[in-house]
Amino acid sequence: MPVRPLNVGVIVKLEPDFSEGNVSYNPDGTLNRAETKNILGPHSAAATLAAFYCKVKYDAKVAIGTMGPPIANQALRQAQLISNADELHLYSDRIFAGADTLATAEVLRLGVSRMNNGLGADIVISGHRASDGETGQTGPQTAWKLGYPFIGNVIDFHIDQEGKSIYAKRFISLYGFYDVIEEIQAPLPVFISADPSYKPSFNTISERLSLARNLNEARNKADNFEKYLQVFNSEGLGADPRYVGLPGSPTIVYKVEKIPKAKAKRRVEFVDGNDTVKLDMVAKKLIQLMTEAPIK
Amino acid sequence: MERYDVAIVGGGTSGLTALRQLANLGKQAVLLEAGNTPGTKNISGGILYSKKPKNGRVYNIEDVFGREFIDDAPYERSITQYILHATSKDKLYSIDLTPVHEYQINYAYSVLLSKLIPWLAKEASDMSEKMGGGIISGVHLRSVRWEQGNSDIVIDTDELEPFRVKAVIAADGVNSELAEVTKARNKFSSEQLYQGVKVVIKLPETILEERFKVTSEEGAAHLFAGDVTMNHIGGGFLYTNRDTLSLGAVYHMDSLMDNPIEPSRLIDTLIRNKLVAEFVKDRVPAKKSSQALISKDEEIRQHFMAVKLLKNWNNLRSEYYSRDGIKRLIESGKYGTKDEIESRIAFLENELVEKYNYEFGDNYVELEYSTKLIPDGKRCRMKAPYYKNILFVGDAAGRGVFVGPRIEGLNVGIDDAVRAANAVARSLDRNNFDEQYLGNFYTKSVEESPYTRDMKEIDKDYLKIFLDCSKNIPKDIVGSRYGMIFKLMSSGTLRGIAVGFANMLGFDRLLPLVESVDTYVNVPVELADRLGKTIDSNYVPTTPSLQERIAKLDYNDDSIPHIQVTKPRSEFMVKMASLCPTRCYSYENGNVILQHEGCIECGTCAYETLWRHPRGTKGVSYKYG
Ligand SMILES: Cc1cc2nc3c(=O)[nH]c(=O)nc-3n(C[C@H](O)[C@H](O)[C@H](O)COP(=O)(O)OP(=O)(O)OC[C@H]3O[C@@H](n4cnc5c(N)ncnc54)[C@H](O)[C@@H]3O)c2cc1C
Ligand code: SF4
Repeated sequence: MPVRPLNVGVIVKLEPDFSEGNVSYNPDGTLNRAETKNILGPHSAAATLAAFYCKVKYDAKVAIGTMGPPIANQALRQAQLISNADELHLYSDRIFAGADTLATAEVLRLGVSRMNNGLGADIVISGHRASDGETGQTGPQTAWKLGYPFIGNVIDFHIDQEGKSIYAKRFISLYGFYDVIEEIQAPLPVFISADPSYKPSFNTISERLSLARNLNEARNKADNFEKYLQVFNSEGLGADPRYVGLPGSPTIVYKVEKIPKAKAKRRVEFVDGNDTVKLDMVAKKLIQLMTEAPIK
Repeated sequence: MERYDVAIVGGGTSGLTALRQLANLGKQAVLLEAGNTPGTKNISGGILYSKKPKNGRVYNIEDVFGREFIDDAPYERSITQYILHATSKDKLYSIDLTPVHEYQINYAYSVLLSKLIPWLAKEASDMSEKMGGGIISGVHLRSVRWEQGNSDIVIDTDELEPFRVKAVIAADGVNSELAEVTKARNKFSSEQLYQGVKVVIKLPETILEERFKVTSEEGAAHLFAGDVTMNHIGGGFLYTNRDTLSLGAVYHMDSLMDNPIEPSRLIDTLIRNKLVAEFVKDRVPAKKSSQALISKDEEIRQHFMAVKLLKNWNNLRSEYYSRDGIKRLIESGKYGTKDEIESRIAFLENELVEKYNYEFGDNYVELEYSTKLIPDGKRCRMKAPYYKNILFVGDAAGRGVFVGPRIEGLNVGIDDAVRAANAVARSLDRNNFDEQYLGNFYTKSVEESPYTRDMKEIDKDYLKIFLDCSKNIPKDIVGSRYGMIFKLMSSGTLRGIAVGFANMLGFDRLLPLVESVDTYVNVPVELADRLGKTIDSNYVPTTPSLQERIAKLDYNDDSIPHIQVTKPRSEFMVKMASLCPTRCYSYENGNVILQHEGCIECGTCAYETLWRHPRGTKGVSYKYG
């Protein structure tokens, strides 16, 4: 029996395009976010690439969703070009404005449920975080709202469609290290965030053929990306106004301040370099410190 | 392990034709191409012929790619003039060989492979995808093997997991690694090869048409023999493309081994020939050396301004001289009249001269320098072009027609590819890949090709047309040795007998006589000296240095060298210090040392090295080809 196609959802964050000619300013000189063109940030691009991997390797259905102002076209087109997505979703409504990560996660949760003709997603992929000052919480919070297990910093993965599980490799930081790779198996549906270093590889003839086919399709689709674009407002998503936008945002940014420098706790003691007794003390002290220090 | 019906190795004109033909026959095939995309590794002269021989049939490109080839493919011009020039210093004796060129052809198009091949690749892969196949670029075949008790071929590449196929078509070019790893044939020796050297030169479209007296669809071919080859067996060619010229030459490797001269210098000599110089000449800006003392900042500012102006000047002028360019410029609304465009061009020139210390004068613009070996089919075609269930086609099989001014490899490879594809399709139908059923069948088919006949014997009718074109040549030329031949050959009956006799001897015996410094150099020089007219031109082109030529090429360096020197002291290798077109070899303390960065994969050094192509996507990429 043929396995049901894998449904993939990607949530991306659009970032202002600061390249020449794309930035728009308000009369007071501040950035006009609504008019400034958007691009796909590098983290979102990594997530989109992970979806493309599913497309090439598992012939998956891919839907890409984002919450943002209604001029996100350029970025969504870009996402389609990268991933050969079948659906592009834009969740856009005035009442979403002012959302913190939790309220954003609520919109995205609803968005995911609309993806792939309402079938949702077996695997939801997000970027590690956005590069314009977001804290990396939207992904995990959306996962939590969806009730999916979350795997962060994924650098490689494959799906066992029959066993309905994912095998993923991810970077984890351990005692300040950043080069430990953990291998994880998790049941589907699952939520993963793609590590910024994520790069798919295609090593068999069939994957390469599928790659060529998908690249070709992606180009054709992106040329007519409007055909694949669906815009949802709050009502269309069935959102509860209490959980989205400002009302749904428990975080209040009261004031942004520079973190003051902590006072130094070190004490300085001068030692005469000719005094062997004192030098002996220094050596002992160093040895003591070194034995106590956690090995790094 | 994944399984496919057929693998084709190499996405040149031969490989792509095989892929498309198999798809036409409903067969699945995957094509591996080492280059980043198809068309980045291939170079040719190149005139692509479509032929209609009187005896037997050949498969032409349109037979495989359909009428769309003629209607849509990005070829350059239909070559309608074909003139041979005998050269000696600034003297020239010209013979119109257009009737020779037109012998048994449907058409002849000038082509630039890096434009044509992507088109062929798209057409072939679209069709092949429907059969579950397609093109995989950036993959370099390393080796093939057979597992015990199974005729399937297992293919190992540098990039992908091994996979299995029922048959392979080897279209991997003159330096075929498939031939090397299977030992299907010996490496080609210098006697069997020509080194082809080529530069692509920019020339605005309408200037080109005026200069070569051709219409917008037509083009010209000019061939050169005599002192332009610096005493080597070989000759030069100049073909008109849409808005570029392909200028090149072929040199017999034996004669290069006797008298090693750097390819870059050889081509410079051709460019400096008076007629060639006049052909390539254009109006070119050059920066004058400046004495003015200016600050670094000011210098940078001026440089950027000048670059911008140069770009504008160049774009506008190219558009102005392109077909319907003036009309387009006026329609764009930017300019009202032709005069306005002209004065804008003049204004930009003036700015560059007055403010940025430029001068405008006669020179030429070289876009690309390239080199590749060409197998001489008369001497090296594989007599049985297969090994087990691998069929060799085109350059890989050493097949090409190389007779007099004819350099035909493209059309021969295309004909081979169709025959190979047909043979493989037949085997797939019967699931029989025995040598008897596949290899022998293919060999028989190739032997029946009129091109093979051209590699084996002299075509009497071709010779007659050739001699008719040359009937004004005095019969006492070169101590009457060749004059005698001309005289004999000019009479119908004697020609019949002579050709019959010559063909009995076979090309092998005749070649040293026919292909000699006498025929390629001394006769033309004498002709030009005695009968030629002097070309009146005082323009001497400034040719770029080799470093400048290399700097224009795109490389993706492979950290692992793809060539290993095994005989650093051999006579052959010492000559490579002169014959490598990009000076990858140097000679130090009696040893030859290779620096593989900068290699353009021409294959010249392959005979005495362990030679492979770089891994997938690595190495040189040509922009014109
Ligand atoms: C200067 C010059 C002038 C010429 N003029 C003419 C002319 O006017 N008319 C004419 O008909 N012919 C001409 N020829 C000959 C003609 O260009 C060649 O015969 C023709 O291009 C050969 O085509 P091919 O497909 O057989 O090989 P190629 O075009 O050499 O293609 C081989 C392909 O295989 C790939 N490859 C090689 N090894 C591997 C591997 N291990 N794995 C994967 N891929 C691999 C290469 O990257 C390459 O793309 C000329 C040649 C030269 C050099
Ligand atoms: S090193 Fe490269 S460029 Fe030089 S002769 Fe050998 S193959 Fe040609």
